Amino acid sequence: KLNTGVDTVQHGVEGLMYLLTESSKLMISEIDFQDSIHVLGFSDELNKLLLQLYLDNRKEIRSILSELAPKLPSYHSLEWRLDVQLASRSLRQQIKPAVTIKLHLNQNEDQTAQVLQTDPSTLLHLIQQLEQALGEMKTNHCRRIARNMK
Amino acid sequence: QRFRFCGDLDCPDWVLAEISVLAKISSVKLKLICAQVLRELLGEAIDVRSLAAIKLNPLLSAESGDVKATIAVLDFILSSAAKHNVDGESLSSELQQLGLPKEHATGLCRSYEEKQSSLQDSLRACSLRLSQLDSVSWRVDYTLSSSELQEVSEPLVHLMFNVRDRDRGTTEAVPMAVSAGKFRVLLAELKQAQALMKTLL
Repeated sequence: KLNTGVDTVQHGVEGLMYLLTESSKLMISEIDFQDSIHVLGFSDELNKLLLQLYLDNRKEIRSILSELAPKLPSYHSLEWRLDVQLASRSLRQQIKPAVTIKLHLNQNEDQTAQVLQTDPSTLLHLIQQLEQALGEMKTNHCRRIARNMK
Repeated sequence: QRFRFCGDLDCPDWVLAEISVLAKISSVKLKLICAQVLRELLGEAIDVRSLAAIKLNPLLSAESGDVKATIAVLDFILSSAAKHNVDGESLSSELQQLGLPKEHATGLCRSYEEKQSSLQDSLRACSLRLSQLDSVSWRVDYTLSSSELQEVSEPLVHLMFNVRDRDRGTTEAVPMAVSAGKFRVLLAELKQAQALMKTLL
């Protein structure tokens, strides 16, 4: 339909892709975009078309690009149990409580699980630290940053 | 306000919202859906046809409403009540406090009470457990001789522990060979552990 060779079309598509992804990645302004493509020596109409294409699709391209960043394993679920050790081979008559936790994580559609064990005082410390972390979100410093990011 | 069936915590907002939806469906429909939810919680297959029948039955489906949301809230109420060992009467009164009509609450709690101990057994079985011994097989050999020593003449126990991986549902075989002396020690220690376990049962 376009009356050109396959290679030319392929190069054309690749070129456009590169232009759009790089521009979206860097989030360049309209003026910078226009200046950049001016160098290519296309007609004014084509330049306008390219600019419009960039502006229309910029947001979607950026959201797709954001998914490509490497991801850390994310939380899926948590199982726990509370046990009391009463005796072992080396020592009888014990009372040793322990909390066993199985942390289920998701990483790129892979499910992994980590088993952890802790005594109640460490668990309390852990809870305190996590509550402190949550509390940080409410400080003025964090609130200011969150406001500015919107 | 704290509720026992929520583990002495506040009732989650979504549960509160769904209970007011539950109040609007007929108590007959509620009891039928409840029976299906109990079957699913106990690991029995849900009777898809009877669920579909509930949906399609003109008498019962006159009210609009998402059956999935109803199932979700019933799932929560029943399993949470079983988890915290709440008896039927307390559950009924707490649900009524949250706005469930008496007739609905009574029907629901009657079904709950019938299945309460089975529910708790099923929850106990799926509690966190790191591994599970499926079976043990053994064999006693007598070594006559080896490349190191011409006359060995010693018994040897081969043990095979079949350990189940609960996450993947596979069984791993752990073989080991134990000499007579070591095996006696192993057996003595395990017998001591067994005696200790007996004192607890």
